[in-house]
Amino acid sequence: MKLEIGERTLDNGLTIIAVRNAGVYTYAAGLVLDVDMRDESAEEEGVGNLIGDCLDEGTAHRTGVELAMAVDELGGRLLGNASGGTVMCPAKNSTAALVLLREMVFEPAFAEREVKRVRDEILQEIEIEESDPRQVASLRFQKEVYGVHPFARPARGSAKVVASRGVDDLHRFHKKWFAPQGSYLAAGGPAEVETTLDELEAAFSDIDGSVPEHVRPEPPVMTEGGVDIHLPMDREQVHVLLGHPGIRRSNPDFYALSVMDHVLGTGPGFTSRISMRLRDELGLCYSVHAAISSSAGEEPGTFTAYIGTSPEHRQKAIDGFLAEIDRIREEKVTEKELHDVQKYLTGSYVFAFERNTQLARYAVRAKRFDLGFDHIERYPDLIRSVTRDDVQRVAQEYLRPEHMVRVSAGA
Amino acid sequence: MLPNVHEVSLSNGFRALLVERSSLPVVASTIWYTVGSRDERTTETGLSHFLEHMMFKGTDRYAKGEIDLATSLMGGSNNAFTDHDLTAYYFSLAADRWEAALEIEASRMRGCTLDEAEFTAEKSVVLEELAMGEDDPWNSLHQATEAVVFQVHSYHHPIIGWKEDLERLGVGGMRDYYQRNYGPDRAFLVVVGDIDIPKTESRIRELFEGIETTGGERASVLSEPQSSGERRATIRAPGKATRMAIAIRTCCMGEQDDFNLDVLSCVLSSGKGSRLFREMVLDNQMVTDVSTYNEPRLDPGLFWFAFELLPGVEPQAVEDCLRTELQRVSDDGVEESELRRARIQLESSFLFEEETALDSALKIGRWEAQCQGGYRRLAEVETRYAVADNDAMRSVVQKYFSTEGWNVIHSLPTENGES
Repeated sequence: MKLEIGERTLDNGLTIIAVRNAGVYTYAAGLVLDVDMRDESAEEEGVGNLIGDCLDEGTAHRTGVELAMAVDELGGRLLGNASGGTVMCPAKNSTAALVLLREMVFEPAFAEREVKRVRDEILQEIEIEESDPRQVASLRFQKEVYGVHPFARPARGSAKVVASRGVDDLHRFHKKWFAPQGSYLAAGGPAEVETTLDELEAAFSDIDGSVPEHVRPEPPVMTEGGVDIHLPMDREQVHVLLGHPGIRRSNPDFYALSVMDHVLGTGPGFTSRISMRLRDELGLCYSVHAAISSSAGEEPGTFTAYIGTSPEHRQKAIDGFLAEIDRIREEKVTEKELHDVQKYLTGSYVFAFERNTQLARYAVRAKRFDLGFDHIERYPDLIRSVTRDDVQRVAQEYLRPEHMVRVSAGA
Repeated sequence: MLPNVHEVSLSNGFRALLVERSSLPVVASTIWYTVGSRDERTTETGLSHFLEHMMFKGTDRYAKGEIDLATSLMGGSNNAFTDHDLTAYYFSLAADRWEAALEIEASRMRGCTLDEAEFTAEKSVVLEELAMGEDDPWNSLHQATEAVVFQVHSYHHPIIGWKEDLERLGVGGMRDYYQRNYGPDRAFLVVVGDIDIPKTESRIRELFEGIETTGGERASVLSEPQSSGERRATIRAPGKATRMAIAIRTCCMGEQDDFNLDVLSCVLSSGKGSRLFREMVLDNQMVTDVSTYNEPRLDPGLFWFAFELLPGVEPQAVEDCLRTELQRVSDDGVEESELRRARIQLESSFLFEEETALDSALKIGRWEAQCQGGYRRLAEVETRYAVADNDAMRSVVQKYFSTEGWNVIHSLPTENGES
């Protein structure tokens, strides 16, 4: 599969990318700035998330309601986030949509009243999360696995810190980090690549600004064994997470681990070992999965195994996970398993490129992780080159039962 | 809004709707059975959904696990969903191998094994799914609301069924249900993608023409009588949030009022410029968010209002505010600019619903399964929205949203507010 894709780097340091999606009538553009929660100091915890939620609450030129109405007039959707924002609309309205995206991300108003309202909403969300056992388990799991790394805390910050956040904090952080230098703007739609690039350039070329040097955290370390936490809550089910720090996307073993994941715990339908054993044979759950490659990013992700089950099955589920982890470390996967997964991965990847948003996201990932735009063409060979020995080697190297953190919440 | 559909009709009642779309070498194959939770009798609730699970557990031609494995080997994906009015199964596959999906669908149309041991094992999975839903406060509120609104019609029970029914259910009951409801006369196919239409039609005839019919009609269901007054209920859910759902019984899919209610829903709650968002979220800060949703069905469906209240706000205050806003629409109508924005949004959402082959197949299938007149009615969509004017807005508010039709369900935090 070959994409029609092109890029330019503007004088302001912004890389613009266009991917053609012939045959659709829709358009999407996403701005991914060179900032994320790792750039927040301890005092700034959660500020990026609050900024993301406040971006569409008004700009220097329009109130939040006026901005929303302008988006409605285009039949579009405009969303802010902690690293920029996205816009989707009918393709015929792309030029006007980019004006709104630019205005929202680079010229937000952060009006006192709106910031306070959004802040109160986040505080309410935090309170609701605290009563959702799956969220409770997940947040505690992140905390235990990441230790002192910034990913140990929730991206939205703690209630105490969010409650103290003011408009000045938002302006300060935004001014410091929301700049085109080192950032990406990618668009997918039916227009020719050069046409799309011209449009992106016209909309974003006159914005200036660079960001300070990033201070990057030390990678998380494996905890010593024995972390086993249960957080009791009055519910029907218990949500169980097992895991430890994982890998970066740049890790050369990414493809072997991707194959391993699909044999072990993320196969389509119910074809993975864990799904077949815990769901199909034992009937322990509706939802179960395990993976290490899907969370890989600039920072190490996690190996995470998850199950939602009835409380009487908790230990059985944990034992089931550990047995399958031991098995994939101790025995080579079968020829058939390897073959089946390779067939699946090399046949299914085309479906990750149907939507404009998927194309734009792929383009940015290809740049950020230095994969090259031809990665999509090379991907099948990268997967086919993985051997049974590779899968066992990476299972032994990256799955570490002795360092497994276990967290559960619920019944 | 209506794609170029090639229609195939077989002598046993089976039909296929084929759409060629060659921008990507992919195909979405979907099959729709005209049976859902609406068709379940008392004591067999949840059967449609449970059967959907069992359709992946083996047929006369595919052993347990082979459907998923075959899909995986072809680099595709499959899944299914059960709704009140229908059950649908779908595959997304590369264009050079998609016809395997037809073979699988033909095999499981009448040849699902429904093995007893598999039935028993899968029942545990379904009960876990039910337990998962019970822990979701919005899901509990939704189910409680439907149970209050529909006291006679089978929309009363949840799609997943009542736990007590599922626990008692035997494989014999499922086999009987399958025989009654799964056959070529109760199903149709929608295929969208990079296909050769004549070749596809020929293959469909080969595979489906010989399959025997169920010989039965779709179950008739009791009509829901007119409500004689508003209904109220309160449920409790863990956590600290107060939620409220207000549901009003409305119309069938495809009636002009269905389109009118879509437009009204946009005017009321789509985006920050919408009436309820401005009134309740921005100006009065009563709720964190407001959503309205028009849900037409085969039989008269529902118009939903859902709110999550900010701490300290009384549900009655939100309800009063809603009544005032609806009265405003009834008395004064809405602005022309509001109507225009709503129509633009609805037309745009139709474009987004066609972004992938599967999106497109699911849209055609849903219209065919649930709407009087079927998928062809998609041709009318633009015109129908265009006539949803100010008079229509006032008219639907006056017709449906009078106090007698309200069903108000509060979901309050558990007594001590603890989780």
